This record gives sequence, structure tokens and C-alpha cells, in this order.
Amino acid sequence: MAKHQTPLLDQLETGPWPSFVSDIKQEADRRAANPDGIEYQIPVDCPEDLLGVLELSYKEKETHWKHGGIVGVFGYGGGVIGRYCDQPEKFPGVAHFHTMRVNQPSGKYYTTKFLRDLCDIWDMRGSGLTNMHGSTGDIVFLGTTTPQLEEIFFELTHNMNTDLGGSGSNLRTPADCLGQSRCEFACYDTQAVCHALTNEYQDELHRPAFPYKFKFKFDGCPNGCVASIARSDFSVIGTWKDDIRIDQEAVKAYVGGEFKPNAGAHSGRDWGKFDIVAEVVDRCPTNCMSYDGSKLSIDNKECTRCMHCINVMPRALKVGKETGATILCGAKAPILDGAQMASMLVPFVPVEDPYDEIKEVIENIWDWWMEEGKNRERLGETMKRLGFQKLLEVTNTPAMPQHVKEPRNNPYIFFKEDEVPGGWSRDINEFRKRHLR
Amino acid sequence: MSEDAKKQIIEFLEGKKGKTKFYFNDFTKIFPDMKAREVKKLLTELVKEQKIEYWSSGSTTMYGLAGAGKQHATEEGE
Amino acid sequence: MAFVSSGYNPDKPMEGRITDIGPQHFEQFYPEVIAKNKGKWAYHEILEPGVLVHVAESGDKVFTVRVGTARLMSITLIREACDIADKYCDGHLRFTTRNNMEFMTTDEGKLAELKKELMSRKFAGGSYKFPVGGTGASVSNIVHTQGWVHCHTPAMDASGPVKAVMDAVFDDFQNMRLPALVRISLACCLNMCGAVHASDIGIVGIHRKPPMIDHEYLDNLCEIPLAVAACPLGAIKPSKVEVDGKKLNTVSVNEERCMYCGNCYTMCPSLPLSDGDGDGCVIMVGGKVSNRISMPKFSKVVVAYIPNEPPRWPTLTKTIKHIIEVYSANAKKYERLGEWAERIGWEKFFELTGIEFTQHCIDDFRDPAYYTWRQSTQFKW
Repeated sequence: MAKHQTPLLDQLETGPWPSFVSDIKQEADRRAANPDGIEYQIPVDCPEDLLGVLELSYKEKETHWKHGGIVGVFGYGGGVIGRYCDQPEKFPGVAHFHTMRVNQPSGKYYTTKFLRDLCDIWDMRGSGLTNMHGSTGDIVFLGTTTPQLEEIFFELTHNMNTDLGGSGSNLRTPADCLGQSRCEFACYDTQAVCHALTNEYQDELHRPAFPYKFKFKFDGCPNGCVASIARSDFSVIGTWKDDIRIDQEAVKAYVGGEFKPNAGAHSGRDWGKFDIVAEVVDRCPTNCMSYDGSKLSIDNKECTRCMHCINVMPRALKVGKETGATILCGAKAPILDGAQMASMLVPFVPVEDPYDEIKEVIENIWDWWMEEGKNRERLGETMKRLGFQKLLEVTNTPAMPQHVKEPRNNPYIFFKEDEVPGGWSRDINEFRKRHLR
Repeated sequence: MSEDAKKQIIEFLEGKKGKTKFYFNDFTKIFPDMKAREVKKLLTELVKEQKIEYWSSGSTTMYGLAGAGKQHATEEGE
Repeated sequence: MAFVSSGYNPDKPMEGRITDIGPQHFEQFYPEVIAKNKGKWAYHEILEPGVLVHVAESGDKVFTVRVGTARLMSITLIREACDIADKYCDGHLRFTTRNNMEFMTTDEGKLAELKKELMSRKFAGGSYKFPVGGTGASVSNIVHTQGWVHCHTPAMDASGPVKAVMDAVFDDFQNMRLPALVRISLACCLNMCGAVHASDIGIVGIHRKPPMIDHEYLDNLCEIPLAVAACPLGAIKPSKVEVDGKKLNTVSVNEERCMYCGNCYTMCPSLPLSDGDGDGCVIMVGGKVSNRISMPKFSKVVVAYIPNEPPRWPTLTKTIKHIIEVYSANAKKYERLGEWAERIGWEKFFELTGIEFTQHCIDDFRDPAYYTWRQSTQFKW
């Protein structure tokens, strides 16, 4: 017999998509039965009380959670989000129900041993409920009490060689796509640089001293599977400088219908015979391709590396060999002045251990933003307020046409005094010798 | 030197009435000649000494004297 | 419930403390075929919806079966996934950025059985535990936020609407008939901790009422300067009020200026703003993050308000299903939803979908608004 009646939530158990309601119920049942004889450290019935409070929200259409300022374990300024239920007497099992963010390994590959060990900790010391994963990338432990925070941290660090992730005004847990581990498009080792920088900047990740949050994300190619360009302050996207490699025999195989276009991504509908001119050449945004009936040509100096042709014919076309990354800065969600995509700062940087070129850009940006950024101002907003030129200046990046979609369309140019011959100090009396009052 | 600076931070926090939580850049203003990273080190030491502590809105983090603040009692004492 | 120590000594928090170690190194988690062929993959192919093969230069192949998850997962479900990974995948599995799980094997012979096993597992209520799909020109899994399950400022639930929408478009999760992939995302308030502003279809919870002020308790629970500073629009000011003959310090809210973001409530629990009747969501469409063909774009608001209709959000679900159908019927191959809308013009988007265009779809927020108005005589009737 369930502790709370949940007639509204029960309607989310039908239909094909995995039901989180059914899943929470199965966790509640298992905890109640406790087949493994676990010495539960937080209320056994917390999943049931979570369903109870959620049912109440479904009835009233209002949340029942309060925020708390608890930030983490001793000495850390992030990694834990404090949560309290505003109906603790009705739902004591979730009266204190804090979230812990656990730093995921780069690329989100796991062994079952590691996952089972995590589950064991969270079975005994938490609600048994998780998010795999949070929006930023962390493994999210959903719901525990204050006294368990240090215990869980101790177990994670001592027994699992794993640390907490970030929250608040610090470096957030960096995230990446799976990169070269299983993708032919990846232009650099996203996981290696993600892991290296996560470790390099542990102090920034755990002890906040920024004006606001700061996110790194690493995309292996311009397809952007981790959406770094839309949601990270510092977006690193793989690219290349030389020519797209063409295998003309494979091109013929696509034209002849031997290979499925776009790796078979469109096989759910009959789109007709593959038409290389209509589907590749004519869709090229820079019109830099041509096909003469047997040979595909690319005018590479006109190519902007959008990936379309490579996506359509992955067996025939490959990214170049001189690979690295483009760095873009300042993406953020709409609060306050509207959403921002990241703006291109460094067109090409080699991505090689120990990543000194990338670190230099990061640290220059931090020094500037920590000094000039207002409280709760994302990097993109500081850039907007103080100008892109300022970002160029602090990162020692020379201005180039690639930095803009188009040049400015107003002449309100702020010159520095030393850019103008003779500076700004002038002698009015000399002037009056030439011009009468 | 660093002990003096830490004392200055505590005095700054104790001297504020009606407000117990402060942004990082409130502290850099106390030490205009010091690099932000140096100020951060002092704050970290004070956290380790259990004299100050962090407070987080989830998206932003602030610093305050350990145990001070109106929300503190309701959060820890329940 | 006896307290069991991990070994941590609360009297001496620094004793034996381990900090700043970061995550474990990713290479320890690689399946053998991944470790061996990293950086040497030649090409990939989607064999059928949810099933990929990646072929290395060495000739090695790794087969991947992708399954959707609700993101909110119990350890019981994770352990069940581990059992399957132990049986078929040498004890390895991975998760994707969009909350899918991937089961990998080098043995093509095991593939059919693995897929069958995944699809055979169902929850007591009847839904799949590990539905296979989410590849190619399909609707991929929805990325989303916490909602009423765990957040203090949501204007809607997250897990519930996601379940309802994915049920409605489930065929397109398991099929690849669409012109291009359709990424749906949900953020349960406009702070968008899920950053959904560049999705083909974004669902964003919005409040529509300024916060209430709990004058009697405010000064006891909140630091007024922090509440004032929390407002991104400067709409909150310190103020005084008389309650039962007592003069109290409190704040006032300039309601005209409020955009209902809830930041003040985060800093001050005496400024709640949730409202069962006022809250709901908007639908934003046409965003993307890929640089493919056209540049990344933001999603645009096409439906300015849909009320919360728990438990299954029928209006929201129906509208999204309809947008996908119209897009699917009209867009060209490879064309993302936003590219299609831009090609035909947004006026045609509203005509074809039959969605009513209202004044709320016209931007009026600060400077960027102007750049979205039409400075041209070119438009379609």
C-alpha cells in the first residue's frame, strides 16, 4: 500500500516513454522491502514522500521546494544545492533534500563497477534517486540530508577517487562530446583537454571567486553535439585549416547508391535516389563545390567548414589533417538582456598537451572579468558592456575581419589618445592665431 | 602581512550592519593593490579556519561570517 | 536507523581530507575497442533507428544501441542497466549529452538479442525502461530541468511534460522520417538552467505574476539589501509597512517592471511568486547549435502562453506534435525547423501551422527587439 495516493501522477505511468513515476515507485518499494539489509542513513520512505509532495504540486500547480544556502562540504563553495520542502510535516522524508553534484568522467563512459559503487553509496546515504546527468554534465544525486554531505564526500574521495562538481559563482563542471573516442569528425581529443583543464582548475571549480558562473565546453567539430556555442562562456570547437580529404571512389559509391547518404540518418522515408548535386553541391553555403558527373571538387579556400557535405558522405569526405580548435566566448541563456551565442575570439589554436595556448586565453579572460565584471554578470555581458575590442586587448588577440559578420555601421569610433598624431592636448591660443574668435 | 589582511576582512564583515553576505568583489575593494587571486587565497584560509563561510543562491556564491545571517538559523537548526 | 560513519571525523574536518582530485581519468572507463581505435575511426552508419556502427581504420567495428531515459533515474534502474551491460557489453556503458544511454558491443551477433532485451524490459506501469531510438532524422531525447520535482522557482513541472511530449512523439523517436533531427528541450523557468534557447523546439516555463510580499516575516527571514540587489531589473526597493500597529522594514516591488524571474525569491523566501493559475509555458521554435549549412540560431516564441495542465499537458503536447507534423510535411531534406521557417518566412510558418500570431510574439524587451521588426516592404501575403 503506497503511503500517499497519487492519482494524477499515476496517469504518467502509461504510454511508451520511460515513466519517472514508475521508476520512483519501484525505488520506494525496494527501499521498503530492503532486500539487501541496508542501514539507511536518511528516511527510508523519502521516494514515497517525494511522490507525495509532487502529487500535491500536480494538484495545486505550484512547487513546494525552498532554496537553501548550503553550498557544499567543508572548504568548498559549491557542489551542493540546498533544498527544503515547504510542507515538512506532511512529507518528513524529504524535509531536507539536498542535491549533490558529482563530477562525471569526460565523455560519460562508465564501467558497471563504478556505477554500482556510486549506487551503493547513494543507496545507503541518499534517496536512491539521481539525474543521469544534470544539464551542465554532472552526475546528480537527488536528495539527502545535511549530515550525510560530508559522509558522501568522504566516501567519494576516499573510495572512488571522485570529486564533487561546481555550482554558484565558480567554474562549473566542464563537459565535452565523446570526441575522438568514437567519432570520425572530432578534430581534437575533447576528453583529454576537458579532463586536463578540470584538474588544472580545481581551485576555481570548488572555491568561487568569479562574478558569476563560468562554463567550459568542448565540441569536437562544428556539428556541436554538446552545444558549447550556445551555453558556455568558453566554447572550444574543433576545426581544421587544410583541405577536406576526398575519396573519389567513395563519392561514386554514394552517387551509385551503394552507400547510404548521411550515414543512413534519413532511412525512415523514401526521399528518392540520392542526388549529389541537389543534396550536397547546391546545399553548400558558400557554393564552393562542384560535381562534373564523375568527380567532386571543393574550392577549399572558400569553404567555411560547416560539415554538411562531410555529414552527408562520411565515407567519402574527411575533415582536414591540420586540426585544432576555434575558441568562442560569452554564450549565455536569456537573463537578462537576451540570450547570447558565443562570439569567435581565436580562429585557430592547436589543442595539444599541456594546452598552454588555451590556458593562456582562459587566464587572461579570468583576470579581466574578475577585475571588471559586475556581480552576477556573465562574461558575455561584460563583453557587451565593455566592447569586443577590450576582450581582444586582454587576450592579446589582433583584430581581424573574421571576428565580425560585418564591420560596424556607425562611425562612433572610440579612438585612444595615442592613436591620434599629437594626442588630445592642443593649444587654444595657437588655434586662435589661425581662426579669429 | 597575511594575518593583518585577514584581520581586516573580519573587521570589514563585523562592521556591516543589516547585511551578512558579500560578493567576492566587495573584498577586492578592501585591497585595491592586491591581485584578485591573492584576495581569494586569504578568503580560502579564513574558510579553512572556520571564521567565514560560503552562502550560495545556487547560481551565485557569497561570503559571510560563520554562523551569521537570518537564513542561517532556519537552514541549519531545523 | 543507526548512524554509520564513512570514516569522516566532524571534529577534525581537515584530518585525512582529500580534496581537489577531480573526476577519474576517462580512459579507465573505455571499452577495449574504444581504447584501441581512438582517433582512428573511419566512418559510421546508422543501421536502423537507435543502432549505430562505427568502423575503424583497423577494420574494427563497434555497434552501439542507444536508448532514451527519463534522466531522473533510480539506482534500481541504473543497476538493471549495469546487469545488461555486464551481459552484453563487457561491463561498459556510456551516457550522452541528451540523457540517452549507449550500450556498445563488438559482436554483431549479439546485437539483435541486446536490442530485444532492452525493448523487453518494462516498468510495472507498462512504459519501456530502455526504449531504443533517438538517432538520425528523429526526435531525440528531451533535455530538461528539475521542475516541481526539486526546484524552488519553476513555473511548470519538467519530468511530467517531458514524459507527455515524448509519449506523443514516440514514433518519431523510433523512426527517421523527419527532414532533419528535431531537438526538443524544456526549461521550467526563464532562468533556463537547461539553456534551451537554441533548440528546434524549446518549452520554457514562465510566471506571469510579480512576487507576493510576506511583510510580516520578511525582515526576520531576509536581508533586505540582498533582496534588493537580487532583482536584475531594479524593481525592488527597501520600504516600510505598518502591520498591526507595528512599523516593519520590508521591500516594495515595482510590478510594472517585474519580469517574474524569481531571482528575488532565491535570495528572500518572503517573496514567493509561484501561482497555479498564472504560471504556464511558452513554445519557442527554430533554434539550433550546429554550424551545419546555416549558422547557429536562437529559438523564437511562437506560442506566448499555454497554461499548466497536469498531469499530461494536453495543449502543449498537441501543439508540439502538430508543429512537427507540419514541419515534416513541408521542409526539404536536411532542413532544420528554423531553416525551413526562415526559407518560407515566419508569416508562412504561422499560416501553415495555423498557430495564432499574437502581439506577445513581437519582441518588446530592450534594444534587441528592434532588430526583429521588419524593416522592409518584402513580405508575403
